[in-house]
Amino acid sequence: MLTDWLLPILLFGALALMLIGATRRVLAWRAGRNEPVAVVAGLMAMPRRYLVDLHHVVQRDRFIANTHVATAGGFVAALALALLVHGFGVDSSILNGLILLSAAGMFVGACCIAWRRRNPPGRLSRGPWMRLPKSLLVFSTSLFLITLMTADWFPAGLVGWVFSGLLLIGLALGLAEMLVGMGWGGPMKHAFAGALHLAFHRRPQRFGGGRSTGLKPLNLTDSTLGVAKPTDFAWNQLLGFDACVQCGRCEAVCPAFAAGQPLNPKKLIQDMVVGLSGGTDAGYHGSAYPGKPVGEAKGNPGQVIVDGLVSAETLWSCTTCRACVEECPMMIEHVDAIVDMRRFLTQERGETPGAGVQVLDNLIATDNPGGLDPARRFDWAADLELPLIADVGKADVLFWISDGAFDQRSQRILRAFVAVMRAANVDFAVLGNDECDSGDVARRLGDDATFQRLARHNIEVLGRYEFNRIVTTDPHAFHVLANEYGDFGGHYRVQHHSMFINELMEQGQLNLQPKALGRVTYHDPCYLGRYNGEYESPRSVLSTLGIEVQEMTRSGYRSRCCGGGGGAPITDIPGEYRIADMRVDDARAVEAETIAVACQQCTAMLEGVVEPRPQIKDLAELVSEALVTEARA
Amino acid sequence: MSLRIRRNPRLERIRRNRLHPEYESLMAARVSAIGPTGLRRINPHQTGFVMVQGRKRLNRLNPDGVGFAGAGQPGRVQAKEKPLHRVADPLGYVAAVLDLPGGRLSSHDRDVLGLAQQLAQAKDEPHAVLAIALGDVRETDLGGAGADRVIQLNQLHNEPLTGYCPELKRAILNATEQHYQPAFWLFPDSIDGGADLGSRWAVQLGERAAVQAWQVSKETTVCRGGSQLTDWHRPTPRVLLLAPECGAPVEELRHEALPLELTLPEPVSVTIEDLGPVSVDPSQIALSEAEFILAAGNGVRNWDQFHQVATVLGATEGASRVAVDDGYMPRHRQVGASGTWVSAWVYLAVGISGAIQHLQGIGQCETVIAINLDAGCDMVRRADLTVIADSEAVFAELLNLMNERQTGIAPQGVTVHEGEARHVA
Amino acid sequence: MLPESRSKTMASQAMKIAALVSVGQHPLSRRERRADQDARAVELALSLSPELPSLIHVGSARNESLRAYLGMGLNNLKVLNADQDVDAVPALASYLGEQALDIVLTGVRAECGEGSGLLPYAVADQLGWPIVPRIVSVVSIAGGYAEVWQALPRGQRRALRVPLPFVASVDPAAEPARQSAFGPAQRGSIDSRPCAAEPDQARANWQQHPAKPRPKRLAVAKGGTAAERMKAATAKPQGQGGQVITEGTDREKAEAILARLVAEGVVR
Repeated sequence: MLTDWLLPILLFGALALMLIGATRRVLAWRAGRNEPVAVVAGLMAMPRRYLVDLHHVVQRDRFIANTHVATAGGFVAALALALLVHGFGVDSSILNGLILLSAAGMFVGACCIAWRRRNPPGRLSRGPWMRLPKSLLVFSTSLFLITLMTADWFPAGLVGWVFSGLLLIGLALGLAEMLVGMGWGGPMKHAFAGALHLAFHRRPQRFGGGRSTGLKPLNLTDSTLGVAKPTDFAWNQLLGFDACVQCGRCEAVCPAFAAGQPLNPKKLIQDMVVGLSGGTDAGYHGSAYPGKPVGEAKGNPGQVIVDGLVSAETLWSCTTCRACVEECPMMIEHVDAIVDMRRFLTQERGETPGAGVQVLDNLIATDNPGGLDPARRFDWAADLELPLIADVGKADVLFWISDGAFDQRSQRILRAFVAVMRAANVDFAVLGNDECDSGDVARRLGDDATFQRLARHNIEVLGRYEFNRIVTTDPHAFHVLANEYGDFGGHYRVQHHSMFINELMEQGQLNLQPKALGRVTYHDPCYLGRYNGEYESPRSVLSTLGIEVQEMTRSGYRSRCCGGGGGAPITDIPGEYRIADMRVDDARAVEAETIAVACQQCTAMLEGVVEPRPQIKDLAELVSEALVTEARA
Repeated sequence: MSLRIRRNPRLERIRRNRLHPEYESLMAARVSAIGPTGLRRINPHQTGFVMVQGRKRLNRLNPDGVGFAGAGQPGRVQAKEKPLHRVADPLGYVAAVLDLPGGRLSSHDRDVLGLAQQLAQAKDEPHAVLAIALGDVRETDLGGAGADRVIQLNQLHNEPLTGYCPELKRAILNATEQHYQPAFWLFPDSIDGGADLGSRWAVQLGERAAVQAWQVSKETTVCRGGSQLTDWHRPTPRVLLLAPECGAPVEELRHEALPLELTLPEPVSVTIEDLGPVSVDPSQIALSEAEFILAAGNGVRNWDQFHQVATVLGATEGASRVAVDDGYMPRHRQVGASGTWVSAWVYLAVGISGAIQHLQGIGQCETVIAINLDAGCDMVRRADLTVIADSEAVFAELLNLMNERQTGIAPQGVTVHEGEARHVA
Repeated sequence: MLPESRSKTMASQAMKIAALVSVGQHPLSRRERRADQDARAVELALSLSPELPSLIHVGSARNESLRAYLGMGLNNLKVLNADQDVDAVPALASYLGEQALDIVLTGVRAECGEGSGLLPYAVADQLGWPIVPRIVSVVSIAGGYAEVWQALPRGQRRALRVPLPFVASVDPAAEPARQSAFGPAQRGSIDSRPCAAEPDQARANWQQHPAKPRPKRLAVAKGGTAAERMKAATAKPQGQGGQVITEGTDREKAEAILARLVAEGVVR
């Protein structure tokens, strides 16, 4: 029979083509910078990462999760069994039955996908991705029927040359999509690249419930600082780009995309794929960067990315809020890639846009972004008589003040927090003028040299004193101190003031008389929430204050950025809306009268929204207002 | 003429000075009147003395003292001419080369002349201050500012000395040097030409000029170093480029301002040719450089009108962050801590409520005028003059007024109002 | 910046341009940096010729802050090695005289040391070249002449024509210097050569002190009656809230504003 000799040829032929394509792909990845990975351990851990960690993210959309289980599970099982049965000729009715079952499962899944694709949401890519459910249906149907046929479970009268020929063509088409496409860059590429991406992920700490959010340090003696060409990425970053399924979840959560700034994380990753394999973005069928047409970007592995593939504006639109990374089912690291390319722009080209140049020059010359007199950093507390750790030598809590010291609005937050600590008799001290900017902004603007200098300075200063923990009101400083100073030898126990106040409350150290505030919502700062997983402490503080938080639609790990991170207000890429306005609209939608925040940058951004708007209060301010001041004679 | 009051300055001086040896005798001449009931009577018209400037002062320490002797009729105070200071035969000169921007003495020029007088008087021999005024001079009172002698030229061999002509001016200084050898050469260290000419002159003389000098005596000079961060203490050189407020301007005396002869130098070849001023559109001047900024905020609705007003007033346009965010103005026009820090002389803020970042950005502005609907906003608290009104209506009237000014119709209201304002003040 | 003042890149002409650069200092932190005006001079030089300008510094080649100039995209910086207390002028002039240059650019005043701004004059004098102070742009170069724009107060400009070669100082109103990138700054080379600079004799007996705050001149009220002078001397300083006009027609309000603008001299 035709199927007897054609089936193995089809199967092995497709497999061989896939392997050739895959090898080419692997070689393309390996053109990237070397980055050591634990090969065996990674491969061993891969199934678990796939089934648990990845599924955990996918599960946020239950329908697609189940669909994917059916389709992918069915496909893998069906293909493996088909290889045994049709490829190696193992004849077993149990196996045939299992093939039928798998193909049926795959068929059901494919039907769901097809149903979903009738009128797909804007975030989904079209083009080949619209073809995929059809290919899946053809493949599963053909395989199902052929298996019926070869197992002779089919009414003999129905089998004819034409029919079996059609089935074989169908199977061939299905295999072309599923296997050949996998190796040669079709939609199914995600399966093979995704699996390897999970195995060789740059941040293995992210799996198993952990977190890894700190940026990787730049070697300042590299011949090119940052990423100029696609091949300047680490090889497993390139691999990660290929894992993208173009589901557009990143696009849906990206604040810059929503604000009409020229950034779309999905398109950015697809442009990296274009750069990796060479060509243009004409084959991209998703939403464009707002305000920029598709089809004009060209790139190849040896070409500088910002010269024709991705515009610099796109890279500078990012607020580094990490919403895309949090949402990505393939665990792709968009922010790392963006900052890597920014490093090239800043440190090789000297093309930091907007006020970024001034801010970096100021950080270099005065250790604060405003270019203010470093000897006046501690002036804000002149009347507070804060203990300097240089005088007291050691303390339980080192209060990291951050650059809010220079900003009049932030000083109110700092004062409120000092009042809270005083009320709880906390043994704390401050660095005073010895403190420098944490380096957060410099690093996000791509100036790792300045970040590293500031980090080393701060680590050296901190190393002089004894303290149990650092507490700060600035989530950016918190993140940098906790997650990024480790690479330079600074390991500390760092707490955000929300965590610290929560502890004080739990220990009953604060005597509070809550005040009625009306409807209050809470805005999760990106660098506290997504970067450090701290969603509970601030809410717990608010509930202790007797406040019932009216959650905005986007809160917790899905919180929308205020627009203030990553140097975005400094580089100031124009869009249609302002991110802060959209965030305040979120709060208006739940009729909040007060937005509780836990970050001075968020305070500044949200208070920049034209009134009338809900009032903006930091947690420290809310707590200090509720403090019962004991009548001291 | 018979009404003219004759004064005896000597007696007046003695009456003013209670320590004067003749004071007692002069004052004792008058005895207070004792009234019929034995009460002591004071005639207020006969008490006190007359100050140099002609003001009458009561002498409460000596109520019995002589009255306004000679002053006769109260209310007839005379404006006294300042005394004239003469240097008859100077043995040397202190030369002050003036900027005269727009043909008039700048306050910097007056400071330089004041210092020149100090240096001239510190000399042992009589020295005269020689003011060198080159170019278009409209100032009539160089003597009042402290010039004993003047060399005034508006052309050299038919080459006008207006515009940029440092080489011609240097030739004149050269001729002056040959004739008069001034003990000091003083220049205002200014962007109006003084710094340039002074530097050229110092190099030509081979003198190490003191630059940004702000404390100058005959022997030593203190000058500001780079970035205004250091002071250099040094012997006073012959050529000094003086910082503003280097000396007190002359006020109490008049000087002769006699013209001085100068044999003109040979014609000089000029290498740098002045092609004239470049017309600069005020709206295109960078915010940080602008002297008059018209800034719009959230309260402005009619943007065409706003641009029109800026053009008519000759103001540079600025904007608040909100106006920029809303796309009405380009980002490089944003004023404030997150935009440009401005140092304009006059800042006219329209519909700007005054966020703290914005107020930080205009911290260095001399005069702030606000047009706003909300009298309680922070901008009103900052402004020197606020008009509570709808900006569109005020703009319309401003355009009318400017139109009247340009077409020659006397804007009556303005003068009236100015008078009123003065009256109120 | 004025858009029209942007210097055109005269790509057709390869001009030989040198920029004299010094070590600056930040006015608040006093940290060494590239001097702002010198950096603007380098920026102007970069915009004038496709050929990279040469950078020249007299001082120590070991000063790392000089690298900030290289970070503007230059490969090489020439240092005439000298001690801090030398007179840079003769060494500079003799070095520049050997180079067959068209234009020498530098800042108006140095940020460190004496900062007198006399150096460009002295160098030009020794070279026998004209000097144009405070330029913001070079508009054209043709026939051995350059047309330059000079900065005047309050954003005004003046056009000057000057024969090549010449020395010019660059005003702070000129195009701001491009960002100094860390990578090129680290990789550029600093070549030093010895120079026969003599110690600065003139400055030998000067003393340098931290700047003393200068007393502000008080506006002494003169004339008027004693009561008026007393009032003037004791009146609250301005800025404690100004005049607020709430009443009146729009025309009267507009008149008040215009009167103030005329009084301040911004409307003529």
